[in-house]
Amino acid sequence: MSDIKYIQNLLGTKQLSCVELTRKYLNAIEKENKLLNAYVKITDQEALRTAEQVDDRISRGEKLMPLEGIPMSLKDNIVTKDIETTCCSRMLKGFVPIYDATVWDVLKKQNAVLLGKTNMDEFAMGSSCETSCFGGALNPHNTKHVAGGSSGGAASSVSGNIAVYGLGSDTGGSVRQPASFCGLVGMKPTYGAVSRYGLIAYASSLDQVGLIASDVEDAAIIYDSIALYDPKDATSRGAGTTSSDKLDKSIKGMRIGIAREYFDGIDGDIQKSIENAVKVYEDSGAEIVYFSLPQIKYVLPVYYIIACAEASSNLGRYDGIRYGYRTESYSDIDDMICRTRSEGFGEEVKKRIMLGTYVLSAGYYDAYYKKAQKLRGSIVKAFRDAFGLCDVMLAPTVPTTAFELNFTSRDPVETYLTDICTVSANIAGLPALSIPCGFDSKGLPVGMQLIGNSFEDYKVLNAAYQYEQQMKEKIYKKLERGVRI
Amino acid sequence: MVTGKDIVKIAKLAKLRVKDEETERLARDMSEIICFADTINNAVEDSEEEFDGIAGIVNAFHEDITVESFNRDDILKNREGGENGMFVIKKHFSNR
Repeated sequence: MSDIKYIQNLLGTKQLSCVELTRKYLNAIEKENKLLNAYVKITDQEALRTAEQVDDRISRGEKLMPLEGIPMSLKDNIVTKDIETTCCSRMLKGFVPIYDATVWDVLKKQNAVLLGKTNMDEFAMGSSCETSCFGGALNPHNTKHVAGGSSGGAASSVSGNIAVYGLGSDTGGSVRQPASFCGLVGMKPTYGAVSRYGLIAYASSLDQVGLIASDVEDAAIIYDSIALYDPKDATSRGAGTTSSDKLDKSIKGMRIGIAREYFDGIDGDIQKSIENAVKVYEDSGAEIVYFSLPQIKYVLPVYYIIACAEASSNLGRYDGIRYGYRTESYSDIDDMICRTRSEGFGEEVKKRIMLGTYVLSAGYYDAYYKKAQKLRGSIVKAFRDAFGLCDVMLAPTVPTTAFELNFTSRDPVETYLTDICTVSANIAGLPALSIPCGFDSKGLPVGMQLIGNSFEDYKVLNAAYQYEQQMKEKIYKKLERGVRI
Repeated sequence: MVTGKDIVKIAKLAKLRVKDEETERLARDMSEIICFADTINNAVEDSEEEFDGIAGIVNAFHEDITVESFNRDDILKNREGGENGMFVIKKHFSNR
């Protein structure tokens, strides 16, 4: 039984009150967060207020909504009315939004119990959570390793059993990679399936709100609640169909595609775990289809050119005038803006803004940005053609398991190369999910990725669920920390 | 190859201030990243067509009706020192 359903059963049968459950989580956070640094803000008053409302509804015999009463976390780039939202940047320390993100509004209406806002790489730019102005989040499986990024705090909170699930954001793998590192299920929906209204923008054509959960059924329940059309987001379409009612469908005859290029340069332990997973699919009656997708070698430069270009535009709003950090002494408005931005942003953010400015500037626009956009079109077409050969694609999530601490001190290109397996789903706007498929020789979780065709998120969840049902005991490790229900 | 002079120019465009001692290091980092980005020049384009957007939606309009906006006092909450419903900064033009 999924964690969400198990907890709701306890609440519904009054074996545990929501207030008792919430206090357990808050006490566990107080103990574990000192080390894990998963949360940057704990919303205990809000959580207990909501828990009381849930208990009130239960006492009146009212039926629980799908995510009602479940303690959860939100990445700190999802705006929450009257609750500080910082993107883990000095630039937004003290910023209190005056509205709720749509995804939070939807969950709030279901009485989701918000435990707190989670740690992240500054403005979602990073792969280790270490660019956060609050310091990085640690991996509960081994605290000498990072939780991943940029949604490192969300993954650390769920893996450390100090949240049942978390929402994050995924622009180039920022939900899937930390999920892989922390032994969890992490999903990036199809672009447009989930509203971006209230998600603080990094790269608007690549950003999506994603989810991190302990198993696939929980992921499907959360997905069905948040994948809705939102008129406030001009790129929103909603999911079009539900997923949790399609998990049980047999995958006999399902074509699982494997693009050879995803496997270049991956760790031996990861290769082995994925080969085992392929065998499980074969034994379940799925057909494995191998092919070549040569465009994959361009996905990383295309991603970084487009993402940084969009970021340079999106982060232009941070000028110290209307909100956020403002430098203390300045001579004129131009000086104020330059000093504010230079003091308010961290090094990685400034680097990416400058890269984006460079590729958009006169003399370089055609060679970089325009060329990258054309190549993006080719990549989208290549994936569309690939889904003529298969139903879902299978690939590693990350070429390695969780990095050791101080990952960001490496050279810039080396850190960007680790995104090779995840960025293509963002470039092509496709749904992609990471699910654990084993452990490496050090006991760190290994993740594999399932990528689906546009708006076929239900197929991705179905394929993940069927694999999980056969391998549950071998791929998940519930850690002896946090709340054990 | 990105030079220190390029870094100063880009920083100005991006409204960022780069210290003199940081210029060369940034130029080296950016050169590495641009060299990596240059690999796209090896790709043969499928067509001359521009990529049209990932959302697959054209003209996402809403009804042209007046709706309530945010309260001005709420909007000003995140900036101290607002006066008469406006954001306040130092004088832009000096007295001449």
